[in-house]
Amino acid sequence: MKKSQKKILKTILIEIALIAVSIIILLPIFLALTMSLKRPSEVFVYPPKIFPDSFYVQNYISAFNSINLGRLMLNSLIMSIAIMVGKTIFGIFSGYAFSNFKFKGSSLLFAALFVTLFMPAEMIMIVPLFQIMQSFHWVNTYWALTVPFLASATTTFLMRQHFMTIPKELEDAAKIDGAGPMRFLFEILVPLSKSTIGGIAMINFVYAWNLYLWPLVVTNSNNMATAQIGLKMLTNVESTSNWGVIMAGTLMVLGPTLILFFAVQKLFVRGIITTGLKE
Amino acid sequence: MWRKIILFSVMVILTSVIFAAPVTIQFWHAMGGTDRIQLLQNLAKEFMQQNPDIKVDVQYTGSYTDTMTKMIAAVRAGNPPDLVMIYDIGTQMMIDSGVIIPIQNMIDKDPTFDINTLVSASRGYYTVGGKLYSLPFNSSNPVIFYNKTLFEKAGLNPNNPPTTFEEFMADAQKLTVKDSSGNTIQYGFTFGSGEPLAWFFEQFMAVQNALLLNNNNGRDGRATKAVFANEAGLRIFNFFNDMIQNGSAINAGPGWDNARQIFISQRAAMLITSTSDVNMMVKAAKSGNFSLGVMFLPHPSGVPYGGVIVGGASLWMVNTHNTQREEATWKFLKFLESVDAQIQWSTGTGYFPVNKNSIIKLMYEGYYAQNPPYLVTVLQLLMSNVTPATSGGVTGAFPQIRIAVNDAFGKMFTKAMTPQQALQWAQDQANQAIANYNSLY
Amino acid sequence: MSRKIFPYLLLIPTFLIVVIFIYYPAFQTFKLSFYKMSPFGNRLFFVGLGNFWSLFTSGQYVQSAYTTLIFVTVTVVAGLTISLFLALLLNQRVPGIGIFRTLIFAPYAVSPAVAGTLWAFLLSPVAGYVSYLFLVLFKSQPQWLTSYPLALIAVMIATIWKNLGFNIIFFLAGLQSIPQSYYEAATIDGANASSRLFKITIPLLSPITFYLIVMNVTFTAFSAFATIDVMTQGGPANTTSTLIYKLYQDGFVNFNTGFASAESVILILIMTVFTYLYFKFGQKAVFYQ
Repeated sequence: MKKSQKKILKTILIEIALIAVSIIILLPIFLALTMSLKRPSEVFVYPPKIFPDSFYVQNYISAFNSINLGRLMLNSLIMSIAIMVGKTIFGIFSGYAFSNFKFKGSSLLFAALFVTLFMPAEMIMIVPLFQIMQSFHWVNTYWALTVPFLASATTTFLMRQHFMTIPKELEDAAKIDGAGPMRFLFEILVPLSKSTIGGIAMINFVYAWNLYLWPLVVTNSNNMATAQIGLKMLTNVESTSNWGVIMAGTLMVLGPTLILFFAVQKLFVRGIITTGLKE
Repeated sequence: MWRKIILFSVMVILTSVIFAAPVTIQFWHAMGGTDRIQLLQNLAKEFMQQNPDIKVDVQYTGSYTDTMTKMIAAVRAGNPPDLVMIYDIGTQMMIDSGVIIPIQNMIDKDPTFDINTLVSASRGYYTVGGKLYSLPFNSSNPVIFYNKTLFEKAGLNPNNPPTTFEEFMADAQKLTVKDSSGNTIQYGFTFGSGEPLAWFFEQFMAVQNALLLNNNNGRDGRATKAVFANEAGLRIFNFFNDMIQNGSAINAGPGWDNARQIFISQRAAMLITSTSDVNMMVKAAKSGNFSLGVMFLPHPSGVPYGGVIVGGASLWMVNTHNTQREEATWKFLKFLESVDAQIQWSTGTGYFPVNKNSIIKLMYEGYYAQNPPYLVTVLQLLMSNVTPATSGGVTGAFPQIRIAVNDAFGKMFTKAMTPQQALQWAQDQANQAIANYNSLY
Repeated sequence: MSRKIFPYLLLIPTFLIVVIFIYYPAFQTFKLSFYKMSPFGNRLFFVGLGNFWSLFTSGQYVQSAYTTLIFVTVTVVAGLTISLFLALLLNQRVPGIGIFRTLIFAPYAVSPAVAGTLWAFLLSPVAGYVSYLFLVLFKSQPQWLTSYPLALIAVMIATIWKNLGFNIIFFLAGLQSIPQSYYEAATIDGANASSRLFKITIPLLSPITFYLIVMNVTFTAFSAFATIDVMTQGGPANTTSTLIYKLYQDGFVNFNTGFASAESVILILIMTVFTYLYFKFGQKAVFYQ
């Protein structure tokens, strides 16, 4: 009885802490939310007003319709899912190669990959990369939006770090059972690494979703443009923008990521997956 | 056999007539904002209705710098658009790009286009070495918006705004209000730093009819030196610094929006910003219940008034080696500069019309009588003397110069340097950048 | 399939992409760092080490290096500490935890430019929410975006905030792979909460922590430019201009490809040194089960 009371108290304390932390962290996004519901005339009043006078949903409608946001989000979705899947799968492969195999040149190859972590890729390489796209005739296609990002050092490095934490005994046991390296990867390592893989997939998705300069350079029509370009379209140059509409657009563009994350975070449930042999 | 050949030829001719593919031209622009994107699309639609054989592909390409980045990538990969909007300070880079057709060439071939319809100041900005390189489209200049209601509260005459630096600074102090614990709750003046601040500096130089660069601001030949570290430059640095240090002005931080927010929320009585804001300022004053005034940029007393420089962007024609496309592009350009198109653009955005006849037409229609703030923005420009100083500087190092000037202001505001030192430092930085750029040509 | 060639096969897709789309452009960049090039590429002169010389003799670049060091150190240390604490909190099994996780992850989903915009609104002088709050609560008006060192602190806060989601995800994944039995055994041995944290949790999280340090350094050193651009544009007086922001300015504002390439090469060289140090010493510091 006493133990369960203690448990309830602990739960309540944790809930309070979580609420407090969430409020602080969400303040800027809350600001975006209230701004998205304000009329243009309400955005700049003083003292700053937290809640809008009325819910001005028109901002959402005009953000969505004026830039054809549906189409842009679809393009972003295609691009982000392709990059997420490619990066994650290829990253698992290469991470596995570096963590579980001894082969000639492995540290050299790893170092060669590791160094690319630090190349501010989209920044320094826009022009040469664009020239490659032009010679492949990929400008204004999904190929240009996805293929250059299908593999990365980030994912490889993380998967390697993670696979190295998994006890070697598992691999030996699998070998004795006659499982080949591919079967071991898919039947044992991957299921054991669900939360890490979920996390990296999520990060890869967000990375692709937020790409701006590359899609802008490599697309030439509104049919191929992405949601981030759309958000930029809402912003005025040299005069004040309609912040209500921009924030409405920003929140709508945030939507798919948050929905995806809500689904993925279920993988982070402590104590359900065990590391097998060690227990 | 002959019948077959004839039949075939007839078919070929028929198909080529029926399927005479309309020529398609690509137009890249940087005019974000839902209304503006729509406005440009509509203008293109109207043009295509008048010219069914031409298809205009209107593409938004990000901010001014994004558009430049995209343009560079496209040029270097050999696939540029037909028409592109480039910001004012990109002028020299475009001239040096080797891929453009100077608009002058098109005008010389086409007697139907009267170059004198262009507003002189806008035309002057894009004329280098006597040649008009691009057509101004969205032109703006800076003005000072002021809150007449706060002027009255401070005992100032709202219909007699300051015209000199000295009056301006005195009024700014009178308009500054502190609360009981000494915090300023209302400032006399606010401005955005970063690129805007460097732009204002250039404008106040022109106001004093002072050059930024040698060789008549780079218009008689490539500019080789920055020449702004002089009396005129120092007056501007002191003007801003004095107000910052005595607490009558607030630096709103980089960009345009923070300063506007401070002004609209009536925490500052005067704001320097672009004329293209006039639309939203008028609305904001209405909903914020204050009376809005617009004043010309002040000038130091005793210094003859020069004028202001045109800002914004212009439209550049790219050499595609395809006469059909170039002719179609030129047709579209003429349409965009026409009286009605400029009226649509100007009244929809707050940029002023670059066609003189649009201004005249708007005036006869009573537009300026109904919207006095719009009149001030146009008047300031029309009252400017057209001199090398008010035509603005041209150099490929302009972006670096803006960064240097803004950094110098920062060093001065944070007291790391005196105004004199900061100004000299900015000029040294500018000279390095210019020398570096010029060494390429 | 031979076990000998198997790992190479696994590496093919990754290396194919990296060689074509990263190495090749990087090689171009390397080449251009020895050239002076006009914005549109129609003028190209070999200048040897001229670009590097110009950078190192300009006080601005050296100052940016110093700023970067402070910015990266503070942001990474503070960011990871806060994230670990939050991850421990979010690793509890209480009702609604999925919603809390999603909410706290949300900042990461915001793009860096939008993050900068939101913070600039909050910290805007006089009329911003935080400025107003400070006036009401503390009767003072700090100038967050235009004075030193407040502007740097403001950019750090925004960057930490933006990165929380990233760090929390992997700390959570790391916590999840620590076997529950370790804690049970420790509890039986009489270990209290703090000794469980320092003796079990933190050591077992070291591989993931190491990953996060590397990624955070990369992110704050290389990707934070959009946030800086919106919030301070490197000001006041260059005090928030980091190496990557300088690179962004030279490459995408000034269109000075030679300088931008040289700056990229410098960054890559710095990181190559770090890579070497990591292989020499770093791997030993990480504890694997």
